[in-house]
Amino acid sequence: MSLTIYGQQLSSRLLIGSALYPSPEVMKQAILASGSQVVTLSLKRQNPLEQSGEKIWRYIQDIVKINQGFLLPNTAGCKNAKEAITLAKMSRELFQTDWIKLEVIGDDYNLQPDPIELLIATEQLLADGFKVLPYCTDDLVICQRLYALGCQVIMPWASPIGTGKGLMNPYNLASIRSRLPDATLILDAGIGKPSDACIAMEMGFDGVLLNSAVALADNPVLMAKAFASAISAGESAYIAGTMPERQTAHPSTPTLDTPFWHQPEHS
Amino acid sequence: MKIYINGDAVELADCSVPTSIQAALVKALPENQRQQSFALALNGDFVGKGDYANTVLKSDDSIDILLPIVGG
Repeated sequence: MSLTIYGQQLSSRLLIGSALYPSPEVMKQAILASGSQVVTLSLKRQNPLEQSGEKIWRYIQDIVKINQGFLLPNTAGCKNAKEAITLAKMSRELFQTDWIKLEVIGDDYNLQPDPIELLIATEQLLADGFKVLPYCTDDLVICQRLYALGCQVIMPWASPIGTGKGLMNPYNLASIRSRLPDATLILDAGIGKPSDACIAMEMGFDGVLLNSAVALADNPVLMAKAFASAISAGESAYIAGTMPERQTAHPSTPTLDTPFWHQPEHS
Repeated sequence: MKIYINGDAVELADCSVPTSIQAALVKALPENQRQQSFALALNGDFVGKGDYANTVLKSDDSIDILLPIVGG
């Protein structure tokens, strides 16, 4: 099944980051192994003399050329709407895409998104023609506001960036899925294990965005494949429909015609 | 005239006044650096490449030059 982001159909429901890998070559192999067609990247002040930005930019361009993928620039490090808007415009010019993973951080300790500044930036960027993919907390009302502004894709966190804690609040995430049935929901940040991604897909999420869980694995290429399998399994399970949870035991083996010594005694 | 590029003070002594962003970049950066992929902001606001030549700088203006980097 394909994932649609602002009208663009993608063959994979995994979106993957390009940071923290042991080397650019491992990054390339892991991203290609994941099957993901969306690669996140960023912009940063750098000393132009080092020319490291140009090298990594060529690597990422090579990856999206091979997998016929798309770039998803982020606004990491921005702490207010103005900074995020400026960075989004710079990204649009340089990366030639109007997709933007909108991050506005409100707290340095847990890198929690600032919902107020996020809404301000989202409204202005949508008006300026951007296709905004906002990174937000698992707050239902914030997600509803983002959807009402015109975001077709919303990306609540599983847990704080880089923690690998998995789904901190499944109830909130299930509520968002239930209350926004037509939004494209991508679980972003905090994923640690393939089983986390599988659970999100079983809940009906449309996709998963992750980086550290693959990049920091002992074997990033193998872990990328594991995530691809887990996401596929979770999606199939959601489509198949899981059985209802029950409070009491029910025998799975038919009890009819069980041997006589297990039959109730007759008087 | 003194401006700031990525936080570092740059003296544009030989530049004519008024000086454009384009002229300042020619003065401050070697050609191979100017040919890298980058985007630019002036005093916190985005300036597109098409506007470098017609955007005039004043003293103490701050230019941020941002390059691609990996990201999550």
